[in-house]
Amino acid sequence: MTIELQRPVGDPIVIDDLERLSFRVDRRAYTDDDLAAQEMTRIFDRCWLYVGHESEVPAPGSYVARDVGGRPVVMARGSDGVIRVFANSCTHRGALICSQPAGQTRSFRCPYHDWTFSNQGDLVGVPLPDGYGPAFRKADFGLARHRSDTYRGFVFLTFDPQQPRSLTEYLAGATEYLDLIDDQSEVGMEVIQGAQLHGARANWKLMMENSVDIYHFRALHKRYVGYMESLGSVPPRRRGGFGRALGLGHGANELPPAAARPLAYWTPMFGEEVRPRIEATAARFIDRFGAERAERITGTNRAVLIFPNLMIIDAIAITIRKIDPVGAGQMAITSVALAPKDEDPDIRELRKSHYLTFLGPAGFATPDDIEIVESCQRGYLNRTVRYSDLSRGMNKEVPETTDELPAREFWRQWDRLMHGDEGHLDIAHRAEMQGAESR
Amino acid sequence: MTTELTIDETAEVRLWHRVNRFLVREARLLDEWRLLDWYDEMLTADVRYTVPATDVRGETPGALGLIDDDATRLRQRIEQLLNGEVWCENPRSRTNRMIGNVEILTDRGTHLDVAANVIVYRFGHGRSDTYVGKYRFEIVVDGESFRIRRRVVVLDHETLYEHGKLSIIL
Repeated sequence: MTIELQRPVGDPIVIDDLERLSFRVDRRAYTDDDLAAQEMTRIFDRCWLYVGHESEVPAPGSYVARDVGGRPVVMARGSDGVIRVFANSCTHRGALICSQPAGQTRSFRCPYHDWTFSNQGDLVGVPLPDGYGPAFRKADFGLARHRSDTYRGFVFLTFDPQQPRSLTEYLAGATEYLDLIDDQSEVGMEVIQGAQLHGARANWKLMMENSVDIYHFRALHKRYVGYMESLGSVPPRRRGGFGRALGLGHGANELPPAAARPLAYWTPMFGEEVRPRIEATAARFIDRFGAERAERITGTNRAVLIFPNLMIIDAIAITIRKIDPVGAGQMAITSVALAPKDEDPDIRELRKSHYLTFLGPAGFATPDDIEIVESCQRGYLNRTVRYSDLSRGMNKEVPETTDELPAREFWRQWDRLMHGDEGHLDIAHRAEMQGAESR
Repeated sequence: MTTELTIDETAEVRLWHRVNRFLVREARLLDEWRLLDWYDEMLTADVRYTVPATDVRGETPGALGLIDDDATRLRQRIEQLLNGEVWCENPRSRTNRMIGNVEILTDRGTHLDVAANVIVYRFGHGRSDTYVGKYRFEIVVDGESFRIRRRVVVLDHETLYEHGKLSIIL
């Protein structure tokens, strides 16, 4: 089924020309309010969306409340240990049943009329029940439960009961990267307390593109690179790296570490004191996984884009970045750090310190990313310049990390969903995917 | 009727006055972008400058914040700002820090625990931002003056959604 966009026929947003090796995006995609509204129904109401990490609800009764795809939800681990995601809205008259961002509870009580729901979503308490007739059954008024599932600790939901794919099918090639992240601890990974909650006055897709764009790194982030070099950061031990399209809009960059990795990739900038511990971990990973996979887990950086709005960047620290649209010209950003639960305390401090050096609203890099995407958004006000170009690497069989393949993969899926033909893989796309896969 | 201060109160008022003057001077140096003077004259060599995350606030052990600079990283932050390397602070934003409710929480002789409220207005690149928070200082007594050893800014904002970034020194 094809849903026509409300725009003139023959006036596409994404112009994907494999013959001329040209990939252009009409800048209305970032500025048009109608398109922004359509994204909510055609993308966010249909895709699997990241909710949180299971470590954020570690024990029976723990919960977090947040917005996903523009809707308030509660992710709760019930007393039975099962993680569920509910609409954060009372089934009686609609008030939020949970206004704390996180906590521990046996039940959620709506403050409006004291309707009370168990942490498994059942309606367990209604004051003055004699006001209802015999047909009223509490079982009909449990919290609305969203279809949710977990892959390697990452919890997703979909608002579309008809979503044809299971979570694993939806994640497509991105599962490989979630495996590489979750394999970093035998006892599991955890989100470190303390979220960086910020945003940008720009379209959300600009931050998705920015997060898989390594081309800008040496230009925009000179001050970060300079600081790392002053700390004794050394060039990677090996060269290389590549971009990948992972299918269904997901993409990744994979490259040798430019600095160090707190898990098991020591370089002098971490100091001699922690060296034996980090090298012992590296040896343990070789025992567990064999040299090749251990090197991929511990000795490689990666940035993974999971369509539509999740970025996981695994470098000198691991950040989970959820990027939410707020109309065409504003986004909300939630960033948290992920780390092995059993991490050595000194190494945890190193990880956090390096996380802050780069990341977040006051890091030595992210503020420049925020400013540059806002600058793009301002630049789009001059509609004389109609298109943005994302064609780097279309001329290569194996695009490099400084190319724009992951962003193109994102846009191709965006275009398919906005046209309502989710399952369709066009010829150009398939050809480029095969190129990337033939590595 | 006149109210005479006791000797103890006089000492207390004098100390408060000196601390207040110190903090006002700090605010002025920061507003005037005299960041190296601030670093050299007002901080200890083992200074720590911290801005906790807005969801955790306070100083929850183990939590990740927004800023946790030791002297080295703070110095680097300053040089980047002064050299125009911070893209979003070039041209430099204009700031105005309003400090109030200055209170000496504890006088430990060699150092003081000081609290204050702060509002920082920032204007630049066509936008205006307001940061509202609480200062928590550990101030070392250094002869007739002071130096800051610990400088924590607890933001009252729930998120920095509107600000996007925190590119100045609060």
